[in-house]
Amino acid sequence: MTPVAAAKPFTAEEEKVLKSWTAHYPYPIMGLLEALRQVQLWNLCVRPEHEDYVASLFKTTRTRVHELVTFFPMFTQAPTGRKRVGLCHGLSCALAGSDKMAKCLEDKLGVPEGVTTKDGEFSWEEMECLGACDFAPALLVNEDLQGKATEDVVAKVARGGK
Amino acid sequence: MSTKILTQHFNEPKLHELATYRKLGGYKGLEKALKMKPAEIAAEVAKSNLRGLGGAGFPVGGKWSTMPPADKAPERYVVANYDESEPGCFKDRVLGERAPHQIIEGLLIAAHAVSAEWAFIFIRGEYGIPFKILEKAIAEADEAGLTGKVRVRLMRGAGAYICGLDTALLETMEGKKAWPRQPPPFPTVVGLMGQPTVVNNVETLAMLPHIIVNGGDWFAKLGVLPNPEKKLPGSGGTAVYSVSGDVEKPGVYEFAMGAPLRAIIDAAGGVRGGRKVKAVIPGGASTPPLSASELDTPMDFDSLRSVGSFLGAGGVIVLDETRDMSEVAHNIERFLAHESCGQCTPCREGSEWTTRILGRMLEGKGTSGDLPNLQRIGENITGKVICALGDTVGMVTRGFMKKFPDDFKSKVPA
Repeated sequence: MTPVAAAKPFTAEEEKVLKSWTAHYPYPIMGLLEALRQVQLWNLCVRPEHEDYVASLFKTTRTRVHELVTFFPMFTQAPTGRKRVGLCHGLSCALAGSDKMAKCLEDKLGVPEGVTTKDGEFSWEEMECLGACDFAPALLVNEDLQGKATEDVVAKVARGGK
Repeated sequence: MSTKILTQHFNEPKLHELATYRKLGGYKGLEKALKMKPAEIAAEVAKSNLRGLGGAGFPVGGKWSTMPPADKAPERYVVANYDESEPGCFKDRVLGERAPHQIIEGLLIAAHAVSAEWAFIFIRGEYGIPFKILEKAIAEADEAGLTGKVRVRLMRGAGAYICGLDTALLETMEGKKAWPRQPPPFPTVVGLMGQPTVVNNVETLAMLPHIIVNGGDWFAKLGVLPNPEKKLPGSGGTAVYSVSGDVEKPGVYEFAMGAPLRAIIDAAGGVRGGRKVKAVIPGGASTPPLSASELDTPMDFDSLRSVGSFLGAGGVIVLDETRDMSEVAHNIERFLAHESCGQCTPCREGSEWTTRILGRMLEGKGTSGDLPNLQRIGENITGKVICALGDTVGMVTRGFMKKFPDDFKSKVPA
């Protein structure tokens, strides 16, 4: 029986980007976190086959890679929405009513916290302090900060606008 | 009266661009530093009485002086700690967005002062905007030949507050989970990849160009001078405060060390809606609160310690008379429970227990044992764990209970 080659988790172009992280810092292993971050952005999660690939690229163990994936909140093992919405519930945002915004996100996006919409477009989660207490309550839509969240701001995010 | 060093040109809209920064005197500090011997720079910084503005307040000159000599340990690193994640703190975000070159210039001066050829900026993963601004600024500085033989690299975190602690940050940079190391040895001796490494907060680094241009004495005199009689080291220069919570104009405000807390709150427009202050968290969520009667406390490392709190990273959170301090304590403990790295049992378990007990009290299900338990749990964490996060877990609730006992007593049976 001919062994079936396992599906490669990344395209040649993506492999090139991941490999570049092994040469960015004085030691290859220092690029591991940035490479995983890239994987999360492309795939909206980090799957076991990604962990295997990254582990061999950085000449480390799958265990060590998995440890990072489960330790750091930015990595997920199931896909987030293409738009990952973070609601800050740190003290200053809580004082400014972030709990009301949580209800509002659930209503407008139609999913509870941590669940991705059926079309894969959105997921939302409460996040620890986003460092935007001057714009409380703060929302993070992927990498973009949306300060001073109100029902209108949440509605706009849910419609896909900024 | 507000004294400005780092924020003096913040009304300049293009300050983030190299040309504007240089026109306003930028990179003159680096130019001067490159003509000085590393030991001369370190001596000037020691004289300035600059203390670490990321929270610990460790004297910067003292930290650098613990590095082994460059001929004995040629592979050495400088790391800018840009992992600002403490609730109530956002001054580093603003400093990087508005004046990225001020941070880069400081980093390059530090690299020269400790003879390092690699300099890193470790920035939290959620700071997408400052990351892009810094990336562009580093490219500009490289192109203009300002980085010289120093290679400057950015690295992003992935959402863990604990990375703001130097040894946890170094573990993360080495591609490991962010478990703090137990010093000694300190990072200046065994740091990144086992080599001597200086880790300084970005605001601290941004002060360096100004110290080199104007002199250590100038900087020291702006702040609180040492008091040898009381054995107080003093605090040089200024601090940039993040002011948020119940104030009219949340934002960053820079003041000389030793300015009264009241002046900082006034600068932020005072308490929102004309209400009264109930409590103020002076240095970020992990620092114990001050009450309304303590608003004249001078804001510097030694003065805040004398009233049982910390200057921390200058995250001033104002809480007005309508706020319930048990809710505030619950919010902070929940944060700490989420961010506990799990390495030390007292912190990992104690933060969860404290959060659950406070949560239960807020649901009206408090029991007569809750307050003594909160006290006892706190006492069994602080001082019994590796890092400052754990110490904080045991301090926050006890700090609020001590100053605002009624807000807690009202949640348990009499």
